Amino acid sequence: MENKATNFFTRNKGILIFLLVMLAVPFVTGLFEGSTLTQVWTNQGSFSKFLEGLGIEVFILAIFALSYDLLFGITGLLSFGHTMFFAVAAYLTGISLKTLGLPFWQVLLLIVLTSVIQALLFSVVLPRVRGVTFTMVTLGLASMFHIIVMSSDMINLTGADVGLQGMPTPAFIDPASQRLRFFVIALVLLVITYIAYRRFVASPTGRVCVAIRENESRARMLGYNTTAFKVTVMLISSFTASAAGVLHALYQPIISPTIADLGYTVVGLLIVLIGGIGTLSGSIVGAFVLKLSDYFLRRYLGESASLINGIIYVIFVLFVPYGIVGTLRVRSLRTKEGWKQILSWILPKKAG
Amino acid sequence: MKLKRNLTPLAVLAGIFLFVFMAARGMEPKDLLITTLRGFSVGSVTFLVAAGFSLIFGLLDVLNLAQGTLYMIGAYVGWTVYVRPDTFVDIMPMILFLMAGFALRFLWDALSDRLNWSPKTTKIVGWLLVIVAIALGLFIVPRYPIAGWELDNYAQSPISYSFMVEQGTRLPAIHLGFEEIPAPVAVIGLLLISSLLSFGLALIRKKANQQHELSLKKWWTFIVLMVLGLFFLLFNTILTNILFSMSSNWLFLIAVIMAVLSGLGLGALMETTLIQPLYSRPIYQLMLTLGMSTIGVQLVRAIWGMPEFVLSKPALFRGTGGACPATNLADLIEYNCTTVMVLGGRVRVYDEIFLPIVGIIVLVVVWVLLKKSRIGMIIRAGVQDSSMVEMLGINVRRVFTLVFALGAGLAALGGVLAAPSNGLSTGMGEKLLLNALIALAVGGLTSYPGAALGSLLVGLIQQFMIKYGQIGIPIPFTDTLFKPSPAIVPASTMLLMVIVLLILPHGLLGKQE
Repeated sequence: MENKATNFFTRNKGILIFLLVMLAVPFVTGLFEGSTLTQVWTNQGSFSKFLEGLGIEVFILAIFALSYDLLFGITGLLSFGHTMFFAVAAYLTGISLKTLGLPFWQVLLLIVLTSVIQALLFSVVLPRVRGVTFTMVTLGLASMFHIIVMSSDMINLTGADVGLQGMPTPAFIDPASQRLRFFVIALVLLVITYIAYRRFVASPTGRVCVAIRENESRARMLGYNTTAFKVTVMLISSFTASAAGVLHALYQPIISPTIADLGYTVVGLLIVLIGGIGTLSGSIVGAFVLKLSDYFLRRYLGESASLINGIIYVIFVLFVPYGIVGTLRVRSLRTKEGWKQILSWILPKKAG
Repeated sequence: MKLKRNLTPLAVLAGIFLFVFMAARGMEPKDLLITTLRGFSVGSVTFLVAAGFSLIFGLLDVLNLAQGTLYMIGAYVGWTVYVRPDTFVDIMPMILFLMAGFALRFLWDALSDRLNWSPKTTKIVGWLLVIVAIALGLFIVPRYPIAGWELDNYAQSPISYSFMVEQGTRLPAIHLGFEEIPAPVAVIGLLLISSLLSFGLALIRKKANQQHELSLKKWWTFIVLMVLGLFFLLFNTILTNILFSMSSNWLFLIAVIMAVLSGLGLGALMETTLIQPLYSRPIYQLMLTLGMSTIGVQLVRAIWGMPEFVLSKPALFRGTGGACPATNLADLIEYNCTTVMVLGGRVRVYDEIFLPIVGIIVLVVVWVLLKKSRIGMIIRAGVQDSSMVEMLGINVRRVFTLVFALGAGLAALGGVLAAPSNGLSTGMGEKLLLNALIALAVGGLTSYPGAALGSLLVGLIQQFMIKYGQIGIPIPFTDTLFKPSPAIVPASTMLLMVIVLLILPHGLLGKQE
């Protein structure tokens, strides 16, 4: 029997190394920039602060993509309305901080509540519709929310097509003055989500979810109540996406209605696709690749960046169907198999 | 048994119609008529997109999300032919020569069969040829003279040209000569690009022990394309002048035909190059069409610019003088009125009479095609069970391409016909895509009549909601009126879709499995 603590660390080696590296990034870049560690600590280094900002956006996208990967990659539910969880949480945070003036802990409670309600709303559909119809019902629900957000009927609350702006951010995680703290919170949230998700996928429940993706009728034939599993996944996914939405609302000065658009779901899909569908860690890799490539393309190519992004997307669909992480895994599997083959030639065969 | 199965759809349908006409009680007859006609108009445009959708989804199991973009491209191609015929005449030879090289594909396939290189060499040479062809393309295509518009210069932007055509004045045609490269070099270069590309792809695709036949019949495509291309190139000036002096009705007809052809061509190209490799991975097809639609929007934005503009109606629907707005058919025909008076209300002829008629014609034509022709029989059989049809010795892949092209062509037709009433914008495709998706989901995904019924419902409900936005819906047991703003109208059709799918997961006319 192994020690449980070492087990945890060896199992999550990769993500913990990622955590440490990411924590080191602001300080190392601060040193290169010439500012002292205390300056970085008190949010005075300009370049490290900029990098932190970019990092926060990547982490938020990664959390969002993780929740999408759980729904689509692991359980096989292709939802085109996933961004609704994200956008509702973002808007609700904004509205309740700005218009209602609730204290922050009450806002969080409200978000948890609505994320559950939304997941149940999506789940009402689940036992009846399957496949493409599910995709379209979710698209319909999310588009309805998008239309309501964009409409002028609610302009006092949502700001219509301009976006929700001017909401007071709680002082202790103000992205302007406390950026490092925000960065660490987003990072830790991402790491916790990732570890929890991996644990979930490895658990018996998660295995059933994979079985649902592979063949739902067979899973049901084996006696599993597939709807209950799908609702569970929907709840977890909705909760995670809502968390990402809260972070987004707190970090961005303007909550733009584009986050409620189908386009934002496509961003999630794109990240999952680039990283590798159903790999979980692919979502983090994909978020980094997408955000950074988008940032640099936009910087050097301007408007045509979206075109290049679209072409990258199509190339990935056509030629790299398993994504970066998936392809690497297949490669490493092959390498391992090759090593085994070579070793079996060299080493004497064991008897029996 | 049959009644019981049909009872739920009928009940839902009855409920929807009841809801639509409940609040219509307070409406004047002319408002009711106009709103209904507008509903038919929106419904018929939606139907043109949704029909292709349902055919493609039924036969190929691909939810073609690029359908909205094809609709948009149809509109923009139609605008180009209608407003800037000189650009159209300039660009035609280029497209035809490029196509001509690909029409020689049988030659390249046969040639690549006869080359006895090792597989590796074949692949490398193939990729090298593709790279050379792309480099050559980057050299020649930008130097090919095409009279166009400038996005940064307002006086020469698409908006200004649209406005001029709307006013009836038109700048004289711009004729650009071959300056940087001589014409023969351009022609040979274009042929070379497409030939090299086609040959390179043939080499990459080459499989061992495969023999393509070299038949003379296939030369005809090449010769026809070359002759057409040379015709457009040599008689450039004359053709441009003819098109510029043509009456706007005929020009509009040409624009519609060219838009449909571009839709057909793009559809066939998409199916053969992008969709076909993914038949074993359906979800990737869905994502691919989504990516294609994004790319399409960006390309349109790069070529025609972001701002919205209009495509003016042809002269047949623009008359204002004489006895306009017409009150009887004779006046309408004599003065080509924009509007007619029916029940004391003004009805726009193009939007509210012509579009529904076109929608019904397309509905009937495609219906007859499906029911009576041999190809329609194959399509219907393919919707039932495509692998069985293949087993019977029919080349289903060819039919797949045909249906995909047909669907794309219908969407492009819808785009160019809707442009005079809705205008052109880069967001038009997405809006209509959502409409068509809802129509399809409501009517039943694989059912062709379902697409028609769904489109009609979507159109009617949208228009009635807009009308209610003006007059207000009485909320039961209170005296207050609820007035939905125009922006919230699409949400009503979304709600319709969600409700219908919850009650009937396969739509109103879809089969239950």
